[in-house]
Amino acid sequence: MADTEKIIEIEVLRYRPEQDKEPVLQTYKVPFIEDTSVLQGLQYIKDYLDGTLSFRWSCRMAICGSCGMMIDGKPKLSCKTFLRDYYPGKLRIEALAHFPVERDLMVTVKDYVKRLEGLKPYLIPKEARTLEAGEYLQTPQQRDRYMQFSACINCMLCYAACPQYGMNLKFIGSGHMAILDRYNADSRDGGRDERMGPVNEEDGVWGCTAIGYCSVVCPKQVDPAHAINMYKIESTMDYFTRFVTSGEADK
Amino acid sequence: MEVYKADVAIVGAGGAGLRAAIAAAETDPALKIALISKVYPMRSHTVAAEGGAAAVTRADDSLDYHFDDTVHGGDWLCEQDVVEYFVAHAHEEVVQMEHWGCPWSRKEDGHANVRAFGGMKIERTWFAADKTGFHMLHTLFQTSIKYPSIKRFDEYFCTDLMVEDGRCQGVLAIQLATGEFTLIQAKAVIIATGGAGRVFRENTNGGIVTGDGMALAYRHGVPLRDMEFMQYHPTCMPFTGLLFTEACRGEGGFLVNKDGYRYLQDYGLGPPEPSPRNKAMELGPRDRLSQAFWHEKKKGRTIEGPHGAFVNLDLRHLGAAKLHERLPLICELAEEFLGVDPVHTPIPVLPAVHYTMGGILADGKTASSLPGLYSVGECSSVGIHGANRLGSNSLTELIVFGKVAGVEAAKFAKSVAISNPAAIEKQAEAARLRALRVVTQSGGKERLAVLRTEMAKSMEDGCGIYRLQADMQATCDKLRELRERYKNLKIDDHSKVYNTEWLLGIELGYLLEVAETIVHSGLNRKESRGSHQRLDGYEQRDDVNFLKHSLAYSTGDGAPRIELQDVKITRSKPGTRAYGAAGEKAAAEEREREGAGNG
Amino acid sequence: MSIRQPYVRSMDGWWKRNAYYIRYMAREITAVFVAAYALVLLDGVVRLGQGEAAFNGWLQALKTPLSLAFHLVVLATFVYHTWSWFSIMPITMPIMFVGGKRVQPGTITGTGLVAAVITCVAVFFVVEGISS
Repeated sequence: MADTEKIIEIEVLRYRPEQDKEPVLQTYKVPFIEDTSVLQGLQYIKDYLDGTLSFRWSCRMAICGSCGMMIDGKPKLSCKTFLRDYYPGKLRIEALAHFPVERDLMVTVKDYVKRLEGLKPYLIPKEARTLEAGEYLQTPQQRDRYMQFSACINCMLCYAACPQYGMNLKFIGSGHMAILDRYNADSRDGGRDERMGPVNEEDGVWGCTAIGYCSVVCPKQVDPAHAINMYKIESTMDYFTRFVTSGEADK
Repeated sequence: MEVYKADVAIVGAGGAGLRAAIAAAETDPALKIALISKVYPMRSHTVAAEGGAAAVTRADDSLDYHFDDTVHGGDWLCEQDVVEYFVAHAHEEVVQMEHWGCPWSRKEDGHANVRAFGGMKIERTWFAADKTGFHMLHTLFQTSIKYPSIKRFDEYFCTDLMVEDGRCQGVLAIQLATGEFTLIQAKAVIIATGGAGRVFRENTNGGIVTGDGMALAYRHGVPLRDMEFMQYHPTCMPFTGLLFTEACRGEGGFLVNKDGYRYLQDYGLGPPEPSPRNKAMELGPRDRLSQAFWHEKKKGRTIEGPHGAFVNLDLRHLGAAKLHERLPLICELAEEFLGVDPVHTPIPVLPAVHYTMGGILADGKTASSLPGLYSVGECSSVGIHGANRLGSNSLTELIVFGKVAGVEAAKFAKSVAISNPAAIEKQAEAARLRALRVVTQSGGKERLAVLRTEMAKSMEDGCGIYRLQADMQATCDKLRELRERYKNLKIDDHSKVYNTEWLLGIELGYLLEVAETIVHSGLNRKESRGSHQRLDGYEQRDDVNFLKHSLAYSTGDGAPRIELQDVKITRSKPGTRAYGAAGEKAAAEEREREGAGNG
Repeated sequence: MSIRQPYVRSMDGWWKRNAYYIRYMAREITAVFVAAYALVLLDGVVRLGQGEAAFNGWLQALKTPLSLAFHLVVLATFVYHTWSWFSIMPITMPIMFVGGKRVQPGTITGTGLVAAVITCVAVFFVVEGISS
């Protein structure tokens, strides 16, 4: 290390279920180098100071969605949050808010994944097509309609930002709604009606009070707040037209 | 210990693993498929791939051209019959992805667009902006949800294969959340665990790319083929090694040295032109471009930065509109990590390790030498990349051979039964104790990070872009020493719930063994070919002695034993790899010869 | 699986954790003031129906110092209410394309605010005109 080594203090909320009844703060002194990310700071701690610190990470470039955590109280990806924005002050890191803490900075992810799976987040083609017939045609403008919502990396920061989710873990949340609209709005897709069931429920879009913080924290500018609030119109329309359609809207 | 009985087990849920799972499920919905991954599937490193997936599409393109580009790019170390299968099935697979919803970028008329890519004669790379791997992975993951016969084991870490009666009959895995072991019995096992780039210091890879499946197969006597061929991607970020896609160059970016000079023209890739020309200049193959950087650095023409030498990737002339439409992720990366706006400023780049051409020896149907064991994707050497991979062939590989692996494994699983469950459970118990020993016998003094850093530095020194006998030998010796020191680990974490340090300890074991196969294979190959280049008397390609694959066999605790295997040549005899103007001349001459004779 | 003990953290005082949440709560509370002012106006309408004397009594009550203070507070909350309403409005609208280009959130917010200001000014002049 350099001779005049700069140090930044990182305070981490630890939780080891086998020994801790509740989370406890632990402070580490980490060498500060101009370009280092918070993730690199955590890696330094695990590598050289305390191997028991557990956290998720992989790609280091904000595309895999593994490294979401609360950094000074705000949901962020640790790989693209930089120590220089906090130095020389102290930095506090906790597991992503609103999710149960399994261990240190690792939260329960399986409920998020399970709920996503239940929403039919896959293409349900409007019409069949053989492989020999080649690709479905889709103009650049048709593609633009849904591309923003397709950028979701499943990092769950939007759920950590949403107090409605924090107070009701059954709430569908804005992140999943973005993924749903990505398919509903895809010109090749015909599955919108099949997906509306969970959307129309009270724990569906109606749990949202348009706080909007989810879109502020989204690291990929997906704007999930827009997705979920747009569907309030859709859900209302469904409610009023349900007698007009074949009754499939409540599926 | 919990036992789960599957028909097909797939280790790794990235692009290849997911595609295989879907293929197996479609082959027979009654089969029980266990899809096991040490991370949630959307975290798999396929997600970081950027550029695109190659498939012959345009009317002026042909399977022969794609075949030739691939075999030339691989410096004739490719299994040509497998390459023929690969190019012939690429288009149907990218169309299949599209049918599953993959948001390929489009032309105005609604058809999928194709872009130019390094070493490719005609534009044939399908792309989804510059996040192709991300979109492919999410499409595959979301599509896999439709198949109820696929049971996922998310955050389960495989520590061993179960081999009984000469057949692979399952895997043992640790559930991260509890530290408990699960035996997953399966009549066929597919390994799809990705590459091993993390053995090197500077790399584009995510933390999970640690050669797990390669080591698992290797330890059970399956050879790892062509491991010395590690791809250096020419345009990566200083310090982190993060990737700036080849598409930057496909869209017209320039590589310039400290004098603002497009230096690639000095290395047989010229002459330079203002717009991109296939197989020339910045669209040459990756090994040539990385080698050019090395030479520029030697000549003192690279730029010195806080994190070492770099050159500039100049995208300014592309304009803001094109940059934001075609390369949005690149712009984000440059701005967020480097504070550089590519619209106004060139991006500092340098070569970093990106891809593992070699891997588990697999035949054209992804089968390994161990019955019941298949491998697919970056962890596998099915034979299409040879000594150097062309960009955008690897994403296509995932889906072409992912399907093959799924179909073959399903077929095999239906034809056999688990032979001896009791014996397998005993094996599982022994494997469990071995895995636990990484923690329980860790009263030593070697920190994981110290060993890992020494390994990575040594690999960079010995197995860099250009290699020397003495350096490679030093790395061999260093790895021997590290494998000894590995027996003396100091692990702080003795807990069970999400003990990630324990798993890093097991991974380090995988990394060290795979690293040994790389450097020993390199030392043994006394020639220069593709991405294995030497400066110690073996600067030339030697088709007489080394038109052969390297096979690295485990000797247990010792260093790998290297053997050679013939290469399958069908219709492309080894020639000169020429690019730029020289390449066009060579291609014209070859066409003349083919026209004159009968090819 | 009792070795896992996922720890659930409390949501008590969540709205104090973050300036964004506090602004959200302030936005929501402005609705109370909007309702209060609506009641005042409703009262005025009722008094209007009860004849001139009643209505004038209502107008007089509005001019007391307490009432003026109340109205200033309500005006401030209305300004914040209006601004925050139009700020959040874009996310409630469907995605719209005009001439092939996506309508930007700023356009929607800006249009709303401009319309609000124009309406206020117009109403002000109408009321001015009537009362003078």
